[in-house]
Amino acid sequence: MSATDNMSSVRPDLIEKVTGRAEYVTDLTIPGMLHGFVVRSPAIHARIVTIDTSAARSMDGVLDVLIGEDVASFGCWGVVLKDRPILATDRVRYVGEPVAVVIAETIEIAQNAAELVDVEYDELPRATTIHEAIAEDAPLIHERHENLEDFYFKGGARPTQNSNIFHTYRNNVGDVDAAEAAAAYIHEDRFTFPAISHFAMEPHAVIADFQGDSLTVWAGAQTPTAVQKVLSRLYGLQLAKIRVIVPFVGGGFGGKASVKIEPLVAAASWKVQRPVRIAQSMAESMLTCRRLGADITIRTAVDAKGRILAKSAKLLLDGGAYSDTGSAVATKSANRIMGPYVVPNLRLEACAVYTNTVPGAAFRSIGGPQAVWAKESHMDNVAAAIGMDPAEFRLLNLVSRGERIRPDLRPLDMDMSDLMGRVTRSFASEVQASNRQARGLAVAATDPANTPISNAIIRLKIDGSILVSVSSIEVGQGAHATMGRIAAQTLKQPTSAVTVLRTDTAVAPYDWGTGASRSTVVVGLSVESAALDAADQILEMVADVWELPRENLSLVEGGVSTGSEVLTFHQIFHRALGVDSGEVIGRGAITPRSKKGALVESPLFWETSAGLAEIVVDEDTGEIHVPRYASAADVGRVINRIAAEGQDEGAAIMGLGHALYEVLEFEDGQPINATPIDYSIPRISDVPPVLDTILVENGDGPGPGGAKGMGEGAILPVAPAIANALFSTYGIRITDLPMTPEKVWRALQKRN
Amino acid sequence: MLPSPFAFERPSTIADAVSAVGESGDGMFYSGGTELLLAMKLRVIHTDRLIDIKGIPGLDRIVLNDANDIEIGARCTHNKIASDPVIREHVLALSSLCANVANVRVRSVGTIGGNLCFGEPHADPPTMLAALDARLVLNGPGGTRVVHADDFIRSELETVREPDELLTVIVFPRPTGPVTYRRFKHGERPSVNVAMAWSLAAGGRTIRSARVRVGALGSRPQPLKAIEDVIQGISVSEVRPAIEAVLPTALGELEVNEDRHGGADYKRHLAGVLLLRNAEEAIAAAGNA
Repeated sequence: MSATDNMSSVRPDLIEKVTGRAEYVTDLTIPGMLHGFVVRSPAIHARIVTIDTSAARSMDGVLDVLIGEDVASFGCWGVVLKDRPILATDRVRYVGEPVAVVIAETIEIAQNAAELVDVEYDELPRATTIHEAIAEDAPLIHERHENLEDFYFKGGARPTQNSNIFHTYRNNVGDVDAAEAAAAYIHEDRFTFPAISHFAMEPHAVIADFQGDSLTVWAGAQTPTAVQKVLSRLYGLQLAKIRVIVPFVGGGFGGKASVKIEPLVAAASWKVQRPVRIAQSMAESMLTCRRLGADITIRTAVDAKGRILAKSAKLLLDGGAYSDTGSAVATKSANRIMGPYVVPNLRLEACAVYTNTVPGAAFRSIGGPQAVWAKESHMDNVAAAIGMDPAEFRLLNLVSRGERIRPDLRPLDMDMSDLMGRVTRSFASEVQASNRQARGLAVAATDPANTPISNAIIRLKIDGSILVSVSSIEVGQGAHATMGRIAAQTLKQPTSAVTVLRTDTAVAPYDWGTGASRSTVVVGLSVESAALDAADQILEMVADVWELPRENLSLVEGGVSTGSEVLTFHQIFHRALGVDSGEVIGRGAITPRSKKGALVESPLFWETSAGLAEIVVDEDTGEIHVPRYASAADVGRVINRIAAEGQDEGAAIMGLGHALYEVLEFEDGQPINATPIDYSIPRISDVPPVLDTILVENGDGPGPGGAKGMGEGAILPVAPAIANALFSTYGIRITDLPMTPEKVWRALQKRN
Repeated sequence: MLPSPFAFERPSTIADAVSAVGESGDGMFYSGGTELLLAMKLRVIHTDRLIDIKGIPGLDRIVLNDANDIEIGARCTHNKIASDPVIREHVLALSSLCANVANVRVRSVGTIGGNLCFGEPHADPPTMLAALDARLVLNGPGGTRVVHADDFIRSELETVREPDELLTVIVFPRPTGPVTYRRFKHGERPSVNVAMAWSLAAGGRTIRSARVRVGALGSRPQPLKAIEDVIQGISVSEVRPAIEAVLPTALGELEVNEDRHGGADYKRHLAGVLLLRNAEEAIAAAGNA
């Protein structure tokens, strides 16, 4: 097999990508297309006094300048709270908020003219941190809260009126006070977690073409049906008149989930009635969305033997200037701070608050890294306080397979002690270079919001080729290759016979969206079901036309076996239809009622991981090196090993970024490193030289072949595992990410 | 983002390049463009004319001349210097510095002259070249002048070079003792760096003189005079205690900016750490000589 065939067998898109043929939004040109450039707020929180666009408009090649007033009548949009104007109208709430769009013949003209748009601001009192936002006299960033129940996620937000708190989630089990009163030991910690940029290689880029009562949008959107729905409500268009086309996407990580700049670009096209493209720079995308920062207080009560009696956690999340899906991030952060431990008494409270900073958004395992950073660092602190080995303390308190972490959630579907054993054995397999055991462990069990709603269409052609149409997005993770494999395996055809279409809502059936580790399981099930439907139709055709008993028929490569001979698809269609043409169309639908209701209970599966880190600290500089890391995840069944390992390793290295490098910094609301020059992410040279990825397969997941979702678990244990190694070996506890050399050095100074 | 439109010229002589830039300085010299084009794209530098100096022969030469000086043409890329046999033989520390500047893309097209002329405080080469006592040759409309590396960078992103002066060559005496360089970085650019060059007396056991420069802390590389003085004339074996005795005072005299690269006390401390590590390396090198 040639190298290119080999790559194509792993993923058909790899060759397209390395040869530059793969098309992303910015590779597309629509006839008549104009270019938009966004004028952004330099103010942190201010009233817009005047916008003077006359100089920009008079520039050659400028067609128009869109301002908030033009589109104010369309109202606001949102996916949980309807809090977002298309364009700032009377007020800006963060540095980087769009206030105007210059629309011109070329990008250069648009950008040059943008410098001539003159906006006068009148500063307002601001709240730029969680604590400023919840202070008693804090200025209100939004005066009222309009909830959209069941719009995007099931449920909605629970805002506190006349405050900046836009969502509060509580969940109580048992009686924490009584348990604490009976406890042998109680330990409380506080941890903080910064805002982090998604830093996708492809910034947000959208082309919109508004034509009368119809709208076509080309966007690197992870959830095209959400984009379609928001645009439909906002502009009063029928869903069937809105077409969202998603070519290849250069990374999303949640930063392209829900809805981002699509309403803005649509407004620009509406204004000029021509196609308009806005292609943001990376720096602009860093001002578009980011992970929510957090301030977390966590308390655990244990009995004399080290068994956990009660846990309480209060999580405050910095949601930025607009809520997006921040309410769900807060709820999930509370759910993700519990397990995988037996905690008979629980008191959880999570609040998402508005601040005058870049809006928060979904990001790989929403709320997970924040919660797991706190809970797993805390676990080692509790273990140390009661004189137990941290691994033993965990093993003593682990939830077993089949037990519930919380009464309202599906029982745990995996064995965490197995994952812990596997990462530990991974380290034992090699000779220890130094006798200093600077190692730290962390584990995580999270409840993805998989939303079991998906549809797939499979068309089996007369020549045996197969088209798969789904709304799953190929965002780099390999979802389309996975769908192709599921279709091929179910129909017993070679993967080379299958083409998975890039998503176009005019063709692809409805799906909730790409995120929450759901595609392999939920969309995969719908593909499997569509393939079975197509198989059914072709076998029925043979049974009918050849008058053979159905039970003797089976699919084989290229056709159907009758037991005595193989009929090619060609022969079958030709004889059945009388002409030498045709196809069967299989349809697969997954709903909460599918599989006899087995998909109803949340989560569909637990996304779990264990991580073991070995570190070496340069005590003179505070720099942490991670020579070795082992990551284990229970994924049920691997469908594409190279892709699966790649996802898990990518997640772990993203976790390494969170642990050691990344923070989107604000000084009194002013972003100070929101450019790719000043923002640090790990480089390939920072990747641990020994990186072991262990995928556990028991075939016990709800997806095709027993698969569970994956790709979001491995990001979780990295930071606390490193922090726990620092704690156990160097005697310092870092409570704020990232663990920069300076922070570590200062902690070492304090210890001495 | 794209830069504003600009004209482009590629002269073939230094004189043509200088006159092409023009007195008013509305044109700018261009070679690797790794700093300049980025700044133009970010619209922090505006120019309507770029004068590409890559068509001028001789500006990418590296030689050891008859005066026992090493000459490096200003438009040598970091990669070229890293792999050059003359540099590798006589100043290995400069070769490895250049092999680790920024990232692979910058090293393959970015030039040492461009790096110096940009005046970025968080840069590797200026500190090293100051320690090597380099002279920079500037060609302007009125002729040629020579500026010492120590005097070249005036302040952050500002040098003494006039807009119509072209930096053509960097010259420094062939080192006669260990040259060491270390930097600490957590991100794209160095937070602090320290270069040290010793001149050894005959026999190689005594330090005749030393030059020590600390970079990235202030607006330009700074000498550590107290360190230079204390190790001058002493035996290599006495270096470490001698440095340690004056180190706190010497570090205390450095101008240190508080910035995203860290607090002043931390960066001062790092300078000391790097200096002592350089000293260890130099002591070992002198011992092996």
